[in-house]
Amino acid sequence: MRRLILISILAIIVFTGCTGVFSRDEEPGKIRVGIVYDIGGKDDRSFNAAAWEGVKRARDQMGIKLRDAEPGDPTSLEPSLRAFAELKYDLVIGVGFAQSPVIEQVAKDYPNVNFAIIDGFVLLPNVSPLLFKEHEGSFLVGMIAASKSTSGKLGFVGGMDIPLIHKFAKGYEEGAKYVNPNIQIMENYVGITDSAWNNPSKGKELAKNQYDNGCDVVFHAAGNSGMGVFDAAEETKKLAIGVDSNQNAIKPGYVLTSMLKRVDVAVYSIIQDIVEKRFKSGIHVYGLENEGVDFAIDDNNRALIPPDLIEKVKQAKAEIIAGKIKVTNAMEK
Amino acid sequence: MINATDIINLSLIGSTIRLATPLILAAIGGLYSERAGIINIALEGIMLSGAFTGAAIAAKTGSPWLGLIAALLAGLAVALVHAVACIKYRADQVVIGTAINILFLGVPALFSKAFFGSSGSTPQLEIEQRLPNFLIYIAFLIVPFTYFVLFYTRFGLRLRMVGESPEAADTGGVNVEKMRYMAVLISGLLAAAAGAYLAIGQNSLFTRNMTAGRGYIALAALILGNWHPVKTLLACLFFGLAEAISIRMQGVVDIPNQFIQMVPYILTMIVLAGFIGRVHPPKAIGQPYVKERR
Repeated sequence: MRRLILISILAIIVFTGCTGVFSRDEEPGKIRVGIVYDIGGKDDRSFNAAAWEGVKRARDQMGIKLRDAEPGDPTSLEPSLRAFAELKYDLVIGVGFAQSPVIEQVAKDYPNVNFAIIDGFVLLPNVSPLLFKEHEGSFLVGMIAASKSTSGKLGFVGGMDIPLIHKFAKGYEEGAKYVNPNIQIMENYVGITDSAWNNPSKGKELAKNQYDNGCDVVFHAAGNSGMGVFDAAEETKKLAIGVDSNQNAIKPGYVLTSMLKRVDVAVYSIIQDIVEKRFKSGIHVYGLENEGVDFAIDDNNRALIPPDLIEKVKQAKAEIIAGKIKVTNAMEK
Repeated sequence: MINATDIINLSLIGSTIRLATPLILAAIGGLYSERAGIINIALEGIMLSGAFTGAAIAAKTGSPWLGLIAALLAGLAVALVHAVACIKYRADQVVIGTAINILFLGVPALFSKAFFGSSGSTPQLEIEQRLPNFLIYIAFLIVPFTYFVLFYTRFGLRLRMVGESPEAADTGGVNVEKMRYMAVLISGLLAAAAGAYLAIGQNSLFTRNMTAGRGYIALAALILGNWHPVKTLLACLFFGLAEAISIRMQGVVDIPNQFIQMVPYILTMIVLAGFIGRVHPPKAIGQPYVKERR
């Protein structure tokens, strides 16, 4: 008897809980967008933060209904994506390469729902992969790093040791060698699991080790773990380079520049496509030519980069766009 | 091509000490609790509570010392929950500990939303708003102190007694429940200090799940150290050294990164599997004490 009561109470809670979700979403006429962030979480001040920036702008300017989910661990990615699809959202955005297999599954199950995936390569009629030429942006910050380096040694701290992050490392290296062919690069990774994005202590130790070994500029592509890289730069009075979002303001004076990966632009424009009813599946590529990647100059770092260096980098940028400089994409074999 | 000095040098020692400090604080914390017979798998969760509270209060007040005090109070509070559940209500200690760990994956996100409008991280502190290195000294001083307390004081004798044979302790007039409460609360203090070290000593902010399993590694070090303070210290230093070496080997030695990062864990398993000595846990560990059993 007791068990029966317990079960019925549970059933009531679950039932009312579900209807609560359904009824809250009944806002006819509004475009509904659901976004599922990566493990880093939307205020990682980097990759996910850029995506958040994009959806917020879309919400404020286009009046869409926005809901987001921050999975605490990789196993909750699928239920979050599925929940949005089940509620027939107009667009479901997955942030990060780790969601590709899940998006592929869910998109097949919900052929009438449109999906977008950042950094993931999923070819389905209802999925739009948003990809970036990180190697090109990294090339530019590599040039700046090598030009500022007096020791001839640079560091790179990646988050998770995966091909996507190798793309940053390779472009950075090629940019640095373009300026100084003899430059040495120490390349380290925080870890091999998703916790690598949330381990600032390890990021700091890696950066400290690189600075101890004579590196004077360290480029991070490590999400929250990169916060440790900035702390290490400040403590050793050396320079770091931010990633994805403009991170120049995190430690002004110690952040040389940031490699911008405009996830916000990509997210905003895919929502715009939905709103204006011209969503097309298939790959969207963001590179230097459409300002999908770039390097950041603002009041926080203008004093660190001489104007002639900016000119030189801008020239290289034009040459990459024109195809005169070829940057290796480490994900293409 | 590889120079031994590239890996083994002075900065390795500094790195080892920095990486071992949170482990030592948490493991010695765990030692108090487990020596008194209460399994404290909640170290990870308590560390997270301390790290978040410390970073949040330091960011709000600008004072790392207030942050540290708040972190210690948070650790006490969480440890008290663990203690009440395990001692008063005789719940399964592993289950309660695990529940606390899972709970604290989410709690910081909830509070950071209320305090900072963020979802699991705190604003970054200025360098002068961070704790000086003194928690490192505390970590290394707490070991001889614990050794002395455990083996040369009446408190230590009673603590070990309630962990080995609570019936005998009870018969001898020791208040088993009170001893166990105190032990768990001390472990909460130390684990929270470990968390505060991570968030406002070594780093300048809290990020989601930033302990990255260090609470569990501290627990492994405690077992590896056979619940003995000095051996536990050595185990923590070993883990710190293994991580420091793996940091230095990356990209220098031509071994896949994945393998290098596995090394500390493989070593732990080899040791725990009993290849090096045997482990002797406190006899009454994990067993709730019921006064009128017999």
